Amino acid sequence: MKHVRLTSALSAFRHVLAACALSLGLLSIAAPATSAATPAGWLRLAHLSPNTPAVDVYLYAFGNSHARVVLHHVSYGTVSPYLPAPAGVYTVAMRPAGAASSSAPVLSTAVHVHAADAYTVAGMGPAKGLRLQVLKDRLTSPPGHAMVRVIQASMREHLVTIRAGTDLIGKNLAFATATSYQPVSHGRLTVRAAGETEHALSTLTLDSGTIHTLVVLDEPGHLRIDNLTDAAGSKFQPDGGGPATGLGGTAPPRASSMTWLAFIAAGLLLAMTGLIRFRRDRRTEFPMR
Amino acid sequence: MTRGRHAARASRPAGLRTLLAGSLVALGGLTGLALNMRTGVSAGPAGPVPHVAAPRGRAAALASASQSGRVPAPLFLVIPAIGVRTRLVQLGTAGDGTLEVPQHADVAGWYTASARPGAIGPAVIAGHVDSLTTRGVFFLLRSLRPGDLVYVVRADVSVVRFAITAVKLYPKAGFPAAAVYGPVPYAAIRLITCGGTFDHSTGHYLSNVVAFGDQVGRAKPRPGG
Repeated sequence: MKHVRLTSALSAFRHVLAACALSLGLLSIAAPATSAATPAGWLRLAHLSPNTPAVDVYLYAFGNSHARVVLHHVSYGTVSPYLPAPAGVYTVAMRPAGAASSSAPVLSTAVHVHAADAYTVAGMGPAKGLRLQVLKDRLTSPPGHAMVRVIQASMREHLVTIRAGTDLIGKNLAFATATSYQPVSHGRLTVRAAGETEHALSTLTLDSGTIHTLVVLDEPGHLRIDNLTDAAGSKFQPDGGGPATGLGGTAPPRASSMTWLAFIAAGLLLAMTGLIRFRRDRRTEFPMR
Repeated sequence: MTRGRHAARASRPAGLRTLLAGSLVALGGLTGLALNMRTGVSAGPAGPVPHVAAPRGRAAALASASQSGRVPAPLFLVIPAIGVRTRLVQLGTAGDGTLEVPQHADVAGWYTASARPGAIGPAVIAGHVDSLTTRGVFFLLRSLRPGDLVYVVRADVSVVRFAITAVKLYPKAGFPAAAVYGPVPYAAIRLITCGGTFDHSTGHYLSNVVAFGDQVGRAKPRPGG
């Protein structure tokens, strides 16, 4: 008999405890944590073949015959903005500008996009011998530096030497090749690209924390340097953790914690009283034991 | 025996009832305390969101990799979803190297060493969640949701449009500097304020709320297009 009652009292306690745990559990679940899928990777498409007429560039997700993106009438020297692309395999295809999307592409290539990485897929080389090259782009720079890479897309000048300020970026770069990225001192720089007979000068501002691709292009009668910003960060990262953007005017006053603590204390006191009374009642019920 | 049981039945509920009532009161106190500890601001009602219309003006094109020349400076920030319309002050770094914050709680500020809104890179904008006495410009920042639109009006009256991708809470010590200030290959926005528990002993919140957004615009490629 007594055993049965004790159990029921205990189970009542257990229920209360379970309710406590449950409500605390719900609180932690309700904690603010929103997030969204950010683009997994990036692709940009470029036409860097001087004697190839304009093309339509198609981007297909692997195994999907419906183009994800079509860029119409892309001419020499054009580089698209980055297109966000979930990680996976893609096909890039080029067709003559205006050709039916059902026609056979002039050329195509597969690109494997990894999360958080960026790629440039460029048609490079002469029209005869045109190929699609996949270049992996850099998205970070060492603190206090700008990063620079060169794509040599001039056909008239087969070998081009390029300097940024006093830094040699590439010596005798062959047509349709690209250098790897290298750090340069940031700030305002004169970039000089020189072939055998033609050259180009360009004054660029390369901020620290930025990453650039310089494209050497044929223009009628001279070379041109196109400065692409591959990625950019802040020039300086502030020290310390997060900024102090609150003074507490809408935070609950300190005293309110005491109120809740008082509630807990009063509740526990009441519960104790109940327990004592419960046990005393049981004793009067069974005086022999 | 029979009489004794009756007596017990009559008195048991009184004791148990007191016990249960006390437990419930304690539970209520515990819940209140937990809510209180969880965040300094969630205890108060959010209240109505002031109506703010999206700004009219020439929509800025998507940031281009070959952008030459300077992008115009940002002047105003508009976030209809949380009723924000503010001018933007310019922020640098404070004497101790930390990010400067606006002097007044009712305006937001653009960190001038970050990207200009609409240029490639993250444009960092900070604002107060509250002042000593009242709500700040970013009081409701934590209730932004992915897809909500953020507008920046620039000096040439062009409007840059961003869509929120994520809103996250970070402890101050674990502030994600690389994700906030670091390089990205597109035009992005980072809205920063305070959140989480308010530490009365230091007078600071213990966490930061950061809303991440990407530029969206006319030139956005449509899937399958």
